[in-house]
Amino acid sequence: MSIEPVYLLIPLAGIAAAVFLVAVGLRRRR
Amino acid sequence: METDPLVRDYLGRLEAAAWMLPGDRRRELGEEVHEHIDAALAAAGRQDEVAVRNVLERLGRPEEIIAAEVGPGGPPNPTQAPDPADPARRSMGGVEIIALLLLTIGAIFLPLIGPLIGLVFVWSSSYWTRNQKLVATVIVAVLLLITIAGLAVGSGSAAQPQTTRSM
Repeated sequence: MSIEPVYLLIPLAGIAAAVFLVAVGLRRRR
Repeated sequence: METDPLVRDYLGRLEAAAWMLPGDRRRELGEEVHEHIDAALAAAGRQDEVAVRNVLERLGRPEEIIAAEVGPGGPPNPTQAPDPADPARRSMGGVEIIALLLLTIGAIFLPLIGPLIGLVFVWSSSYWTRNQKLVATVIVAVLLLITIAGLAVGSGSAAQPQTTRSM
C-alpha cells in the first residue's frame, strides 16, 4: 500500500506551524 | 505589504528610545506599536503619506510612549523577579500544550480537523502575539490548500478517460 505524497502535507502543515510557535516561544524566553 | 519609510523611521526611533527596556519587552512593544499603526491605517482606508503622518502624530513621539511604558519610577529593575502574569514571561500552559499536540499528533490522527482545532487553541492563547498566530495560521492554511489542490488535480486526472492505447 502506498500513500499519496500529497497526504503527507496534512501532518506537515500542523508540524510546521507547531515548530514555528515553539521557536518563537523559546526565542522570547531567552 | 512593505513598511512605509516613515513608519520604519518611527519604529527605529522607538527602539532607540527603548534602550533601557529588556530586549523581549522592547521587541514586543515595537510589534504592538506596529500592529497599532497597521490597524489605524486600515481604519483610515488609505496608506498615503498624509494618512501615515496623521497616525504617527496621534500616537505621539516615541520618547513619550517609552516614558509612559517606563512610568515615573524609572526603568524596571532587571534583577526583580519576573511577573508570572506577564504573558512574555510565563511559560506554556495547558492551552498551549493542547494546541501544539493538536497541530502535530492531531494532524496525523485527525487529518484536517486536528490542525484546525489546534489553531483555535492557538488563537485562544495569550502566549503568542497576534502576528505569530497569524503566521502559524498561514503556514497551516497554505499547506492544507496545496493538499486540497493536489487531491483535486489527482482525482481530476484519474476521472479523465484514457485516450492513448497501447497497440
